[in-house]
Amino acid sequence: MKLAMTYSYLKQDLDQIEKALDKTIQAKHPVLRDASQQLLQAGGKRLRPVFVLLAAKFGHYDIERMKTIAVSMELIHMASLVHDDVIDESELRRGEPTVKSKWDNRVAMYTGDYIFARSLEYLTSLEKPRAHKQLSETIVELCIGEVEQIRDKYVVNQNVRNYLRRIKRKTALLISSSCRLGAIAAEVPEPYEKALYRYGYHIGMSYQIIDDILDFTATEKELGKPAGSDLLQGNLTLPVFYAMEDPLFRTELKTLFDDPSRLTNRDIRPFIDRIKASGAIERSYDLSEKYLLKAYQSLDELPDIKAKQTLKDIAKYIGKRKS
Amino acid sequence: MITLKTSNLPLGELKEAIEKKIQHSYLEKYIQKPVIDEDKLYILSSIVKNTSYSETKKKNYIITVMLVQIALDTHDLVAKHEEKNETDQTKKQRQLTVLAGDYFSGLYYYFLSQLDDIAMIHTLASAIKEINELKMTVYYKEFESIEEFMDALKQIESLLIRRVAEFFERSAVNEFTGNWLLTRKLIKEKHSYLQQEHSPVFDLLTKGPAHNVHYNQIVNTVEQFIQLSFSRVEETVSQLPVHFQSLKTYTNKIIYDYLGNNSQIVEEG
Repeated sequence: MKLAMTYSYLKQDLDQIEKALDKTIQAKHPVLRDASQQLLQAGGKRLRPVFVLLAAKFGHYDIERMKTIAVSMELIHMASLVHDDVIDESELRRGEPTVKSKWDNRVAMYTGDYIFARSLEYLTSLEKPRAHKQLSETIVELCIGEVEQIRDKYVVNQNVRNYLRRIKRKTALLISSSCRLGAIAAEVPEPYEKALYRYGYHIGMSYQIIDDILDFTATEKELGKPAGSDLLQGNLTLPVFYAMEDPLFRTELKTLFDDPSRLTNRDIRPFIDRIKASGAIERSYDLSEKYLLKAYQSLDELPDIKAKQTLKDIAKYIGKRKS
Repeated sequence: MITLKTSNLPLGELKEAIEKKIQHSYLEKYIQKPVIDEDKLYILSSIVKNTSYSETKKKNYIITVMLVQIALDTHDLVAKHEEKNETDQTKKQRQLTVLAGDYFSGLYYYFLSQLDDIAMIHTLASAIKEINELKMTVYYKEFESIEEFMDALKQIESLLIRRVAEFFERSAVNEFTGNWLLTRKLIKEKHSYLQQEHSPVFDLLTKGPAHNVHYNQIVNTVEQFIQLSFSRVEETVSQLPVHFQSLKTYTNKIIYDYLGNNSQIVEEG
């Protein structure tokens, strides 16, 4: 089953969000407008808006109000992607040229800043200081997480805890904030709001772990980039940490990382094979599963409405996804 | 460093507070220390000082607006393209410059949300949106004349402060702010060009399609604009309301010093 099928009943509302997204980034300058449109059309699963809507279903659901949050959360995500492509020198995103490759780094910087500003400008129609506190903390954490990711590149001497903290900031916080902001805006009772936040956090962790596993196990066609790209870029992910429990692997990886500028895909390939043979992939799936179970447990605290089943289905999908 | 005081907000203390807010040990190791624009800081302090807010809140307003300015300036430092065979150091610098700008930008939102100041968040976000639109216009050199280019530059330099002044109902300072910040920008760019033979503004003027000023003429052309801008400053500073007295003193001192050091150019101009 496709992910979108699990929340097909939200389609009308999601269509409204799509239209609002399009309207919000109609910049006056043609290049700024085209670059923003390019990002929007590159699509994505629109997971954050979905989480906003589903969380709001546990309170006073009002699509106009929810639209504001959902659009803002997606715009923040988009703004971070356009800047990430400058950081990673990415030429393609979901098969389409990135803003930085179609125009240049500077256009990508201005586009990201413009979209981020639009998202906050749009969100200020929500007169809920607590929501702004929550989101602003998340954004700062997200930036710190990205700085730490660069700091930790090619550094073998770190542990799983570093990794978990990094993915919490990189992925889990924005998803859990989407859930919480949806809940705050819909005035969901506080215990439910907390449960939704925890659900978002656990599902975000699981999602990122699976993303990191797929970097080793999926095909180049499925990934849209060569397998092992994370390792090539010096990003140590969960399977690598498990494989590094073998001292020989750790030492050899350290030697490989001695001169990162000379690294090629060919150098990485034997390491990918060793990671796969070490049982690290299976162990990573196990940890992802543990996070999913915690996500399910968080849902136990919520009333039985349709949205709860959808949140379960999304968790199930994330656990099984192959691309 | 200017030692003049605005209300109970000495500039040195404000600068220190801003530096403290943007402190990040890893970023500091790799990227250049952000420059805190003293002119903007001074104008901002003059705008905020006569409001009825508490001293703490005034200070927080000034710090957050300056954080926005620093975030925007930081992203201007990101190179257009990656260099061929760039070193790991250059690459890391670029990556961290992108992230530093994002981080400073996140901080302004964070501090204002701590103050529950949603209206100010809206004001600053709108200004950032407008500034990025303007930056694209300048980046693509879409001007019919040098005057048009100078006007866009003036907008970019002053828009953030002008929007804040409107927020505090102090827009009487706006005309002056635009002229003053343009003058100061041109002086800095001229200095940088004469010292290092490089200035982004001079590049735009010499390589712009609609107004490519000849290389030999560029310094004189810019100096003429500085003089023109100075006379506008003198005109607008005299019209400032009385509570901007310290700003008047500050401006007049700088004008006097500049003209004293550049008397030959003025006579020739």
